[in-house]
Amino acid sequence: MIPISYNVRSLAVRKTTTFATGFGIALVVFVLAASQMLALGVQKTLGKAGDPSHAFVMRKGADAELSSAIETPKVGLILAGPGVKKDASGKAEGVGEIVVVLALNRADAPDQISNVQLRGIPDDGLGFRDNLHIIAGRPAKPGADEVIIGKRLRGVFKGLDLGQKFEIKKNRQAEVVGVFEAGGASYESEVLADVETVRTSFGREGIVSSVTVKLEGPEKFDAFKAAMNSDKQLGLNAMRETEYYEKQSEGTAKLITFLGGAIVFFFSIGAIIGATITMYAAVSHRRKEVGTLRALGFSRLTILSSFLLESTILAFLGGAVGALCSLAMGLVHFSMMNMASWSEITFSFDPSPQIIARGLVIGALMGVVGGFLPAFRASRISPVEAMRD
Amino acid sequence: MSALIKLEKVGKTYFRGKEPIEVLKDLDLEMPEGAFEALMGPSGSGKSTLLNLIAGLDSVTSGTISVSGVNLGAMSEGQRAHWRSQNVGFIFQTYNLLPVLTAAENVELPLLLAPLSSAERKTRSLTALRAVGLEERGHHRPDQLSGGQQQRVAIARAIVTDPKIIVADEPTGDLDRVSANQILELLVKMNKELKKTIVMVTHDPAAAERASIVRHLDKGQLT
Repeated sequence: MIPISYNVRSLAVRKTTTFATGFGIALVVFVLAASQMLALGVQKTLGKAGDPSHAFVMRKGADAELSSAIETPKVGLILAGPGVKKDASGKAEGVGEIVVVLALNRADAPDQISNVQLRGIPDDGLGFRDNLHIIAGRPAKPGADEVIIGKRLRGVFKGLDLGQKFEIKKNRQAEVVGVFEAGGASYESEVLADVETVRTSFGREGIVSSVTVKLEGPEKFDAFKAAMNSDKQLGLNAMRETEYYEKQSEGTAKLITFLGGAIVFFFSIGAIIGATITMYAAVSHRRKEVGTLRALGFSRLTILSSFLLESTILAFLGGAVGALCSLAMGLVHFSMMNMASWSEITFSFDPSPQIIARGLVIGALMGVVGGFLPAFRASRISPVEAMRD
Repeated sequence: MSALIKLEKVGKTYFRGKEPIEVLKDLDLEMPEGAFEALMGPSGSGKSTLLNLIAGLDSVTSGTISVSGVNLGAMSEGQRAHWRSQNVGFIFQTYNLLPVLTAAENVELPLLLAPLSSAERKTRSLTALRAVGLEERGHHRPDQLSGGQQQRVAIARAIVTDPKIIVADEPTGDLDRVSANQILELLVKMNKELKKTIVMVTHDPAAAERASIVRHLDKGQLT
């Protein structure tokens, strides 16, 4: 075995080409890791909105709250379903909510309009979600033109900050009286208002978009679902809340993964070609060294392995730099359209050990692929020919 | 002395495109064990080709070449590489040290092919460096050494595996007279004290004078 120090020091000698190749591979791993972190961030942000002991009910055929409408009388029937938890006073724990989309001007670019999800919640809606807490201001008063906003919306849109006002509909102002957090869930990118305020503002009297109920336990879901889905007249579809949010994140996460994958694919071709050129140059420059090693008795396989190892070390180091830089993306919040709700949600890049490990492996693999042909050429160098150079 | 290296009707032909170039023709030669042989001759006479064949770097086109009774022509390339690592030490005109490794690491290189522990390798490398008077320069890289010192490191590398044969291709060709004499004295010492069989290609009559046998080649044949 040729000592690894030979490969490492040879890389250090060729600083410029080593840096250029390492940079290319670092870039690929950075993009790969960042896109996967974002996809995971999307899944986690939307996933955190779901609770496994919650059942989520929409109109049959609707794939999102925006396209769902359940008549108000049915809410009582849903709350009376089997397995629905009751509070100390015997009241079923559940909320019927209405969801609409607001078009608001962005604060950073006032001429640009983006969608924000407005959720109308009943009086007891705030207490229904355990992870939702007011962090500034106060809750909105029922029936008043007041709203509270998720902390990720704060200052992003014109009028969406504590004490500010915005038009909930033409000539109807709503005031932001509170800011809440929800443990990183997608609610943090929503505006919450009293359900009646939303109904009257958007002409949605007599309906809700969805009903969410707390079950006595996750195991009660099957019976609840059977009861909801079997009654054709109700025309309802029940699913676990977690399942609903998984589906909501699916499209966006897939799109990010696809776009990230496409960029990574093209970048990686460039990086592999870069590694190949670098290693071909290294082999050409070190023909005499290879010839000497062959003369001393090192086999072709050993020479091939040594050069392959060298390109893999180079790629791995590049990949490690890319992966390290991608970790910094964990500090970045990224606002984008959620394909399911057509409203803007702020996601964060979510690093995970698996993503970093995958990036490192792919970086090293690029070294193996890019370095193979040059390493093979090195292994075919004749010691007699090399000595004549 | 018995013949360590034996060539019978050895021929070597290279091809330049489709044109055959016969470098060695029906060469018969015996080199005794423990000899210090110098091969002389004009450029293109086949000296280096003969040296490469004896060292197992190249294969014959016709005839047989055997070392210690082992027919090199019957070996595969991989087998020859293994044989070289155990039986041949190399000294090149331009030293051919790996520039990124220290002198000690360069000397240790051939030992990496032997079943030795790291400590044993280090001890042997140091002994070889001591034999050439460079034990204090083991941590220096080749570019921190003079030409003569680099060639001494190469000699240490050549003897570190305790091979039967040392092949030297113009070992003093790149050196000034003083350094060349030091190298030749070292080769004589390796031959006399360590009983190494040395085959040296040289253009330098002063170098050839140190050898016990001088052979002349011309147009692929001994003259």
